[in-house]
Amino acid sequence: MERKYLYVDYLTCIGCETCQTVCDFIHNGNPYIRIYVTENKQYVPINCKHCDDAPCIKVCPTHAIYRDEDGAVRIAENKCIGCLACLQVCPYGVPFYSLKVKAITKCDMCAERREEGLEPACAEMCPAEAIQYGPLEMVLELVNERRAKNIPEHQRELTEEELRKSISSGYKVF
Amino acid sequence: MKGMKFSFLCKKKPQPTGKRIAIVGAGPAGLTAAGYLVCKGHDVDIYDKMPEPGGLMLFVIPEFRIPVERIRFGAKELEEEFEVTYYPRTKVMEGEREDEGDEFYERKIRLSELKEKYDAVLIATGIWNVRKIGIPGDDLEGILSPLELLFWIKGHKLGYVPEEKVPDLAGKKVGIIGAGLTAVDVAFECNRLGADVEIFYRRTIREAPAGAYEINILRNRGVKWFELVTPKSVIGENGRVKAIELLRTRLGEPDATGRRRPIPIPGSEFQVPVDYLVFAIGMVSTPPVNGTYLATDRRGRLVVDERHMTSVEGIFAAGDVANGPTKVGRAIKDGLYTAVSIDKWLRGEL
Ligand SMILES: Cc1cc2nc3c(=O)[nH]c(=O)nc-3n(C[C@H](O)[C@H](O)[C@H](O)COP(=O)(O)OP(=O)(O)OC[C@H]3O[C@@H](n4cnc5c(N)ncnc54)[C@H](O)[C@@H]3O)c2cc1C
Ligand code: SF4
Ligand code: SF4
Repeated sequence: MERKYLYVDYLTCIGCETCQTVCDFIHNGNPYIRIYVTENKQYVPINCKHCDDAPCIKVCPTHAIYRDEDGAVRIAENKCIGCLACLQVCPYGVPFYSLKVKAITKCDMCAERREEGLEPACAEMCPAEAIQYGPLEMVLELVNERRAKNIPEHQRELTEEELRKSISSGYKVF
Repeated sequence: MKGMKFSFLCKKKPQPTGKRIAIVGAGPAGLTAAGYLVCKGHDVDIYDKMPEPGGLMLFVIPEFRIPVERIRFGAKELEEEFEVTYYPRTKVMEGEREDEGDEFYERKIRLSELKEKYDAVLIATGIWNVRKIGIPGDDLEGILSPLELLFWIKGHKLGYVPEEKVPDLAGKKVGIIGAGLTAVDVAFECNRLGADVEIFYRRTIREAPAGAYEINILRNRGVKWFELVTPKSVIGENGRVKAIELLRTRLGEPDATGRRRPIPIPGSEFQVPVDYLVFAIGMVSTPPVNGTYLATDRRGRLVVDERHMTSVEGIFAAGDVANGPTKVGRAIKDGLYTAVSIDKWLRGEL
């Protein structure tokens, strides 16, 4: 199946916290996309980037972390031994240990919803349409279309390469 | 562009339960609650005084932040796929009160009537009144309410407001008092329309609710920012605003909000000439009741219990009307959890 991307466009995001709210709602109080507030009060949602060359997959000793057919980096909770290695290598501090499931947990691009033919809830509900979900070309087209319409003069369109890079850190370990 | 998917919890409407719910207010709280409730099989009717659903997201927040189509498509999907019925231009009210945006409604319905007709009622009417400052001269011509101003600008774009209503701000000097999201959006729009904008705030940028990030963007666009000043009076000429008289302030001990309290410095008065003045100092909850029928608190917010229910059994409240001014995400959260309560209550589980 074609790889899907979940892209948060920080130039379009208005920091309204809707993404965190709906993620929290469907994951019983454990939001996988979280708003961080900078010192100058910029609200920045951070979620798993499902990196191209995901360091968490590489470092996991039990192979509990894997990529599914849509391209989401997921965790098989039953295989996780809670060693926190993935947490150490993730450049975004995304995986977190859940006391409830006694394993690492993280954004799985709404795996359960995808099985039912729905899309990730954050993308569906973001009022600003700052979160795009889909194949790379589609995401790129939508992001650039929005920019061309609304973003002030000094900001320009993204190239495929830049978009790829900004979704996925390409972070290398070892 | 796709619409905001208020019914994000299901793909299509399930088996109907036969229960009917009236929602008053089609802002983010009301629409998200509707999305949850239709996914549980309930029938939902939405009443709103504005000509179309969307609330502040559609009529007030500037288009460059939230695209109009995103909201329109989302509301339309609820109507077309989930059989939600909208009753636009319909003000719901028990008692009398004038609020911002009232010029758009054509019909009035009493809240008690809805209570009779439906199995449950959800109130999500937001904060549609502006706090008055109460200083000499604050009723002069040229003093605009932030909501009014933003409605005119956006309402005109949406085709509801004639051009002559939108003030010609090009080259005019607009003073804005306040430093929240409202003040920032007013400043953006006035700046875009060619006005020379100056924001007056009684604390420093560090304390501004809108935050230094937004304020710096404004400053880069030429909006001036005046810290540590508080308005004393508005100076007029022939009934029209001519200048604002300000007092300098210094910051004292932290108040209940944790921010340092601004203390006016006596004798520090000075004047700044302005053509228009906008007081964006806060908004007040507007429940569809006035004084009686439902309990409200000191700040006019609807009082709700842990079930999100008001003082009348079967009438619930969500969003800014119960919480005071917040953000879209918070209103959506409240809409969702209130809808969970309504569904449980209708099933006899609460
Ligand atoms: C200028 C401005 C800028 C903002 N910018 C942002 C931002 O950038 N990011 C962010 O997250 N939040 C922002 N907010 C806050 C956000 O808009 C609100 O928190 C949110 O819209 C509240 O949602 P709500 O559903 O409770 O109410 P609303 O969106 O206010 O919706 C209430 C609805 O009820 C209707 N109504 C009211 N009274 C009646 C009545 N008596 N009968 C029938 N209908 C009635 C109204 O027409 C309206 O459609 C901003 C607010 C303002 C004022
Ligand atoms: S919902 Fe969209 S606009 Fe709101 S904080 Fe999340 S990404 Fe930003
Ligand atoms: S390294 Fe972090 S951001 Fe990258 S895929 Fe793993 S958890 Fe996600």
